[in-house]
Amino acid sequence: MPDPEKRPETTPEKRFAEEWRNAAYNCFSSGHKFCREVCPVTQVTRNESWSPTAFHANVVAMEQGELEIADVAADYVNCTGCGACELRCPNSLFTGDFYRFRTRTVDLVKAVRGLAVRQGVHQPAWQRWNLLTDERGHEPVLNGTPVDQARVRDWAAGLDLPIGGETILFVDCEAAFHRTSVPRAVARILNLAGYKFGLMHEQWCCGGPAAEMGYEEQARRFARHNLDDWRAGGVRRVLVLDPHDYVTFTEDYPAYFGDAYDIEIVLVVELLAELIREGRLTPHVPVERTVTYHDPCRLNKRKGVWREPREILRAIPGLTFHDVDRVTQWSYCSGAGGGLPVEKPELTARISEQRVGKAAELGVDTLVSACPWSERPLSEAGRARSIDVVDLHELLAESLGVAP
Amino acid sequence: MTVLLGDPVLAELRQILGPEHVLTGRADRLNRTRVPAPFPVHRWAERMPDLVVLPASTEEVAEVLRLADSLRIPVVPRDGGTGLTDGAVPLRGGIVVDVKRINQIKEIDLDNRTCTVGTGINALKLNEVLGRHGLIYPDDPASYPCSLVGGRIGTSGWSLIGSRYGHTRDLVLSFDHVLPGGRVIHVGDGIGRKITKSSSGYQLKHLFMGHQGTLGIASEATLKLFPKPEAEFSPFWAFEDYDSAYRAVGALARAGVATFAGAVLFDEWKVDYLRRDDEAYIPQPSSVKALVCAALYGYEDEVRAGGRRLLRIARSLGARYLGDEISEGDWAARHDRYATPLHGRTRSGQVVPMSWHCEDASINYTNLPAVRLAWHEIADRLRRESDVFDDWGMFAYTNGATGADYLTEIDIGIWEQRLDDAAWEAWVRAKRDLAAVTLAHGGSISACHGSCRAGEVDLVPEELGGGYDVMLAIKRAIDPNNIMNPGKYLLDQAYAEKS
Repeated sequence: MPDPEKRPETTPEKRFAEEWRNAAYNCFSSGHKFCREVCPVTQVTRNESWSPTAFHANVVAMEQGELEIADVAADYVNCTGCGACELRCPNSLFTGDFYRFRTRTVDLVKAVRGLAVRQGVHQPAWQRWNLLTDERGHEPVLNGTPVDQARVRDWAAGLDLPIGGETILFVDCEAAFHRTSVPRAVARILNLAGYKFGLMHEQWCCGGPAAEMGYEEQARRFARHNLDDWRAGGVRRVLVLDPHDYVTFTEDYPAYFGDAYDIEIVLVVELLAELIREGRLTPHVPVERTVTYHDPCRLNKRKGVWREPREILRAIPGLTFHDVDRVTQWSYCSGAGGGLPVEKPELTARISEQRVGKAAELGVDTLVSACPWSERPLSEAGRARSIDVVDLHELLAESLGVAP
Repeated sequence: MTVLLGDPVLAELRQILGPEHVLTGRADRLNRTRVPAPFPVHRWAERMPDLVVLPASTEEVAEVLRLADSLRIPVVPRDGGTGLTDGAVPLRGGIVVDVKRINQIKEIDLDNRTCTVGTGINALKLNEVLGRHGLIYPDDPASYPCSLVGGRIGTSGWSLIGSRYGHTRDLVLSFDHVLPGGRVIHVGDGIGRKITKSSSGYQLKHLFMGHQGTLGIASEATLKLFPKPEAEFSPFWAFEDYDSAYRAVGALARAGVATFAGAVLFDEWKVDYLRRDDEAYIPQPSSVKALVCAALYGYEDEVRAGGRRLLRIARSLGARYLGDEISEGDWAARHDRYATPLHGRTRSGQVVPMSWHCEDASINYTNLPAVRLAWHEIADRLRRESDVFDDWGMFAYTNGATGADYLTEIDIGIWEQRLDDAAWEAWVRAKRDLAAVTLAHGGSISACHGSCRAGEVDLVPEELGGGYDVMLAIKRAIDPNNIMNPGKYLLDQAYAEKS
């Protein structure tokens, strides 16, 4: 018999479940697991343990004392944070507006990963990745070749970009060190349009990846550094070319800093579409390619940005564009988000193969993306099918006739 | 079971399937215990399997079953896990055989209009591919975006547009079926893979459909395909009382319109329920008490003509057409709209997340009104007994093109978080009572889910009579060691008789 005088036993898992119980039950109680066939991980693995519904049901099991975080932490690796499940959930779709409720699987997965790290349950590759990021200030995206502050602006060599100013361009780790042609294209296009901007004084990683992998304290520390750097330099506006940064700066930073966070965040794709609309940029060099567009998950599914990239593509002469609508693309993903390629690169590769396979069915020679993180695995999958993976910004630069 | 499933068994399964496809984690097992049908959350772990395997082929399924049979380990097949009669729920531990990885499209035969698929495939995903050939596999349950072909076979599923295209039993032509001992047979009409009608031998296809996993596992199926319909018309009509709506649905179903794919009757409780939060129904005047919708599929010229005829019939019976926007929107949203947890209310009106439970039966048209009243009385009693229950109203859907009988469902919201032992007992009692009403009116206990859950299952021997004794004999003959989904359909009796 339990001693009635004794307080009921509470555990970190039960405290966590208390916070998430309603969201978890709203999913648990739904018989309609419509998320499963749009989830990129579930689609390729067919493993129900790695599905949005399992991620919610596990919280109910924690509340019941059936699971501890150590039992499930590794399962929560299997999410790219794409947000497809949230959009496809009948709770969001058909009653969400009425009840002001939204299924938030992405936040839940991040929260469980955070709980795991706080409880000392680490995934080996994530732990190493974040340790190196913490040491260097940037993600170790070059497989052993060091990244550091001294090289974070190497991509801009010869472009004569100023440091500081009211408007700066923030370049994510993958683009700054690996996909360097993307930020170069962006900088040249903006220069062509006469749009004034500079680079950041001391740019660290945005902190978003650490937050996604559960290293919350580190994520906040990096965010603090970046915000302090912006404030010290009088920055009012930050341009971002990477959809992941865009989510971090428009969702994580406001959550960390509240009303005091008064930086305007501008998505480069939206800015470029506007500059084309205003006639300040006119693509004129024909690009003879047959393309389809990959909606980056964080733009399409997370932020509802899908018109502007298509506007830009339609403005480029010479292209044959086989579009696939944004809703069909809810179930597409490169597999490169949410830390998945760090811990499970083979799974990222399978998801990218599936995505490129969809492009191949259209008979295109080029898959255009607008997310630097997606482009590495998509390119690898594209090689096997002779499909080029090209960044939208670079494609636009080509049509504007600006040098790489 | 834990003893049997020690290291030698695990080692052998890992050998058969590859180590990553044998899951023993607690979360893996808990998540293969869950189905949408409500069950007290505090008793969740009672239904855990000992392990889960994820085979990729018929051969792997066969090897797993051979091993399980030789060691007398219970086996429970799982596909989408979206069923409402607990077919996929392990009652005795053992091995869950989760067939979702067997989801390849093996062949699309454009000339014979068939396709052959692994049973782990989802119909919506299949139709994305078939659509490129102008074809459709029209098996359309409420769970269309997530249920899988194998589960449709194991439950002998029901389709919303079955009046036009047939139900799962008509649409699945044949399949590879792994018997409990591991032997693989092919069942269909005759032995052909793409034969739609045979009179050779016993008609085994029906036997190996709807057995809820008690006779083995289907792993690869050949399906009948249709031209993707060019046009769809789905009128919704409002009525001032149930009786008018009832008369109208009967007339529509009996009209004999060739493109008629189905009709649905919504009763007063259902309309009240929709008014809680559905933007299409909140603005409807209070005089709207019941609804009917119909769906027509085919070429544009024939759908237009058939639609005009149905509109004329409905108008002559006092119907008010709700307009194209509601009609098209509601039908398009039919899989998402009617059963989300947030519709749940306590007696005082508080919004609580409730699991949707659909209790279904096949009822002849002439008995619909009487069954409806008796069922709502049972739901009302439940609601008085406990605030975890909520009456979400009733639907009646045509089973076929002639309007003889209807899938009749009462939807009960159940607040699973608070489902204690007493409420669970009340629920099981209510299920038994609902089934008794069905039998008293000459109906069948289930049109679509199956009838092997606690409560209703008690009445299955009464429903089937001498046929139930045949069921016992078949079970014993095909599964002599009772390894396939033991505990379902009271089939343990088959073995008690033997000893």
